[in-house]
Amino acid sequence: MAYTEEELKKELETKEYEYGFYTDIDSDTFPRGLNPEIIRKISEKKGEPQWMTDWRLKAFESWSEMEEPEWANVNYTKPDLQNISYYSAPKSKPKYDSLDEVDPELLKTFEKLGISLEEQKKLAGVAVDIVMDSVSVATTFKETLAEKGIIFCSISEAIKEHPELVKKYIGSVIPPKDNYYAGLNSAVFTDGSFCYIPKGVRCPMELSTYFRINQAGTGQFERTLVIADEGSYVSYLEGCTAPSRDENQLHAAVVELIALDDAEIKYSTVQNWFPGDKEGKGGVFNFVTKRGICHERSKISWTQVETGSAVTWKYPSCILKGNDSVGEFYSIAVTNNFQQADTGTKMIHLGKNTKSTIISKGISAGKSQNSYRGLVQVGARAKNARNFSQCDSLLMGNDCGAHTFPYIEAKNNSAQIEHEATTSKIGEDQIFYCNQRGIDTEKAIALIVNGFSKEVLNKLPMEFAVEAQKLLEISLEGSVG
Amino acid sequence: MEFKEKLISSHLAFEEDLYQNDRVAQARASALKVFEEKGFPSKKEEAWKYTSLEALIQKDYALFPKSESSIELNEVKKYFLYDTDTYKVIFIDGVYSPFLSNTTHDGLDVCLMSAALSKPKYRQLIDTYFNKIAPEDDSMTALNTSYAKEGAYIYIPKSVVAEKPIEIIHFSSGNETALWLQPRNLIVVDENAQVQIIERHQSLKEHPVVTNSVTEIYVHQSAFLDYYKLQNDLPSASLIDNTFIVQEKNSHASVHTFSLGGKLIRNNLRYFHKGEHILSTLKGVTILHDKQHVDHATLVHHAQPNCESHQDYKGIFAERSEGVFNGQILVDKIAQKTNAFQQNNNILLDDKATVNTKPQLEIFADDVKCSHGCTIGQLDEEALFYLRSRGIPKKEAKALLTYAFANNVLESVQLPSLKKRINGQIAKKLGVNLGFEL
Amino acid sequence: MLTIENLHAQVEGKAILKGIDLDVKAGEVHAIMGPNGSGKSTLSSLIAGNEDYEVTQGKIILKGKDLSEMDAEERAHEGIFLSFQYPVEIPGVSVTNFIKTALNANRKAKGLEDMPASELLKKIREKAKLLEIDSKFLSRSLNEGFSGGEKKRNEIFQMAMLEPALSILDETDSGLDIDALKIVANGVNKLKSKDNAIIVITHYQRLLDYIVPDFVHVLFDGKIVKSGTKELAHELEAKGYDWIKDLASHGV
Repeated sequence: MAYTEEELKKELETKEYEYGFYTDIDSDTFPRGLNPEIIRKISEKKGEPQWMTDWRLKAFESWSEMEEPEWANVNYTKPDLQNISYYSAPKSKPKYDSLDEVDPELLKTFEKLGISLEEQKKLAGVAVDIVMDSVSVATTFKETLAEKGIIFCSISEAIKEHPELVKKYIGSVIPPKDNYYAGLNSAVFTDGSFCYIPKGVRCPMELSTYFRINQAGTGQFERTLVIADEGSYVSYLEGCTAPSRDENQLHAAVVELIALDDAEIKYSTVQNWFPGDKEGKGGVFNFVTKRGICHERSKISWTQVETGSAVTWKYPSCILKGNDSVGEFYSIAVTNNFQQADTGTKMIHLGKNTKSTIISKGISAGKSQNSYRGLVQVGARAKNARNFSQCDSLLMGNDCGAHTFPYIEAKNNSAQIEHEATTSKIGEDQIFYCNQRGIDTEKAIALIVNGFSKEVLNKLPMEFAVEAQKLLEISLEGSVG
Repeated sequence: MEFKEKLISSHLAFEEDLYQNDRVAQARASALKVFEEKGFPSKKEEAWKYTSLEALIQKDYALFPKSESSIELNEVKKYFLYDTDTYKVIFIDGVYSPFLSNTTHDGLDVCLMSAALSKPKYRQLIDTYFNKIAPEDDSMTALNTSYAKEGAYIYIPKSVVAEKPIEIIHFSSGNETALWLQPRNLIVVDENAQVQIIERHQSLKEHPVVTNSVTEIYVHQSAFLDYYKLQNDLPSASLIDNTFIVQEKNSHASVHTFSLGGKLIRNNLRYFHKGEHILSTLKGVTILHDKQHVDHATLVHHAQPNCESHQDYKGIFAERSEGVFNGQILVDKIAQKTNAFQQNNNILLDDKATVNTKPQLEIFADDVKCSHGCTIGQLDEEALFYLRSRGIPKKEAKALLTYAFANNVLESVQLPSLKKRINGQIAKKLGVNLGFEL
Repeated sequence: MLTIENLHAQVEGKAILKGIDLDVKAGEVHAIMGPNGSGKSTLSSLIAGNEDYEVTQGKIILKGKDLSEMDAEERAHEGIFLSFQYPVEIPGVSVTNFIKTALNANRKAKGLEDMPASELLKKIREKAKLLEIDSKFLSRSLNEGFSGGEKKRNEIFQMAMLEPALSILDETDSGLDIDALKIVANGVNKLKSKDNAIIVITHYQRLLDYIVPDFVHVLFDGKIVKSGTKELAHELEAKGYDWIKDLASHGV
């Protein structure tokens, strides 16, 4: 074989985060710390109505009494939440009419990321709502969407323009009291995306948002709300990259999905936050709450490819409230070096004939720890609920760990639940077979990992699948034979 | 927390009563401290998420029986393994019954924990083995340790094959209004030795009884332990069973747990590996009805390379019963070439029955084969129809299928008379005559 | 094409090959026969560069290049192809994706660009037809759930795609029924040219009725104890391997 394990490890360690750069944009940043005053200021700065300010303050109040959770299988130094600035926005200019008005530094950043707006514009069918730090700076394709009655804008804008929708749905799936980080987010969220698909409308394009962390010491508290009205369909893409930084950065987003009767939401994420360097220094803390509620005959499908973050704590979930509703979770989580991921899903079966599918592929390399944590709950009234779960782990090298913590709770005798989990490694014989056909070891590993992840990769929209495969390859580059 | 206070204050009287072995006394004292600090486990603890002791500990229990109860052999004969000559260590309300027992010191020791703890000739063995693997920070185990005094002491010397199975039976007579028992067993199977043990806890009358039992088992090199737990007590009896097994190289330890009767049962079963080429087997059949609750919390800690473990638990839950399976496989970094398998299959027979299962894998080594599978479902409707179309009444057909579901666990039972008895108990539990003699 | 000189090899300290000499010229088909455990598969693994086997003495030379220091993939780039006795499963990787990756890896090693998709597709179709492979088969995960016959046919399909200079068919006939055997043999025969060479490793002479060898070598206890033409295979079939044991014990 071309590589010894040592050589491969060495090569891996020299691979630095490729999106690790810092964009020098003049930012409008609040003093650090968190108190009701800051929250009022955030709300005021954003020109929010009183009800929103009150909602935030109430969230802050309940959050103040909560404790940071410790049950996840991760170890980290808790971020000092009083040492974070809760508002950071690119220098204020209300809106841009064209790209020319956008800060050229910012455009350069996007170019480096390979997602230049110019290119995006040309890319048929992808509207991009970019969140740079906390404020939405550019929105495209809005008009095309408007023709169909689709609302796709920043959440700040939605609070002002569509208060009735926001008021009705914000916090309806993830109440501020839900958990510590969701509570924090509810109090301080600065921006995020909002999407509403009217009755019977099939959104003609994939909606996508690119998130980015910038500015040292800036916490990121995105808030996303997607509402698919009766009989509508939308596919939403979310992708993340973040620049390199020594200090740990906290990311505590909240994503709420509402699928009304007969609606379908497909939510895909490719997450590549800065994972920390080879010493395990730095990196993003990703403590995200994502949950969707399914009404009658509706469907929510979460697909995620997680390669980044130093610490990930993330469980995109489905509340299957309506009869005949369907929840899906397809996940690939890759950890390397000192990364720690505790991720999975919750499928809460409440309605009759509800179905859920969980496919989780965990790949651990380096000194990382990768945990699947999932809950399948079948309520007493959920007749004929069905669940199938498959959790596979692939271990690369002997310094990492793969863990599976499935919780299965069935209170109905008509439930049918199947859970399977396996752990394996890449076989020497597989590598030799590839080698014999002229494929080098590194490429062979990429090929085998891709095969291992296939069921999930197949669920991603085309333009994301390619990016995801690339990410997989990058994050595992040279990681052990 | 009244009962907790009683447990702590009664300890003084308990200790005064005893012959003092410094180490044992010290172990008891520090265990009491742990219990005092931690108290009874609550549902907030991950390990007790699905099982609450709250209702149990609301009551007051006698810790020491007021008077010695005697029982006629005829009364309890049916609980013995018939057809088979066995050694017997029998307790009534926590007190040894020489009349019912059949102990031995001939080539092997089948006797009493109280003797082992107090007699100088056992001193060295007690120093080597007593309270060495029972985890210090587990509050129920600590509570047992603090009151550790009586139970079975079994020592199988090198290369001895115990020619008769050993029965350990704890009866509660019902003479106390409510009784709290804390038996403590120690079992050492030395190199190349073999033993079969059957353990059961049995109330003779309906009355509240809680048994918090701890068994420490050492299975030395190339030894074989074949252990059966029969849990078919009255609906007023609860059991918290804590069994800890250390295995050395080339050994095989097998524990079958049959949980059919009782009110609340918690089985903590943990295996620790201290050598290579170890085989660990954990099997269980749980059939519950009414409001019964059984919680299996297993751990197999693979700490050495080339070992194998198999866990296979089947659960059948009727009426309002609740089943919990909390199985854990832990594979250390050094434990390469581990094969660890875990299977948990459940059938819910009725609307109000509940299953909570949490099969966990924690893997730190890469060259391993580990898997778990878990299902919750119903009897196969098609198979049911097939049997009925052959003229088998629905009830029998269901029982047959349920029986078939649990069968592969029974298959590995090595004592024919025991197998027969469990067959019979399962049939009885399912309320059905299988049409063949049991 | 291939020269093997006084090859000794061991696995886990146990000597398996004890001095093999072999000369294979372009355009030739050589058959290596021998009883189980004679070292046939060790020889094929060694030529392909499997690191489980250690060469203790001797050389393997392909087209004038010493292979000893080359990794398995470099040997593949030089034109060595091994049809595995037990092809390995790679879940989730389709036959097409695998062959594309392999083909382009070999092209890259030769300094060529990736083969354009349309050209690749054409080639896949053509070679699939040669081996009577269904297009559905091409989208299945590599070797996963394949029958014995499908696995072997897939090996020869890869051989057809990669067009190696030297192909080693290791027990390609095992697990094949007569129809599949004919298809595989027919494929191999069509791939045979004056520029390439084939080594057929087999236990039985059955395959040699379809892939006719120019030379037959009998391997026993790590040594070639007898070489001859295709008649040797028949003789071997008639007399059995005990005959070889006798030969070996009396010296050749």
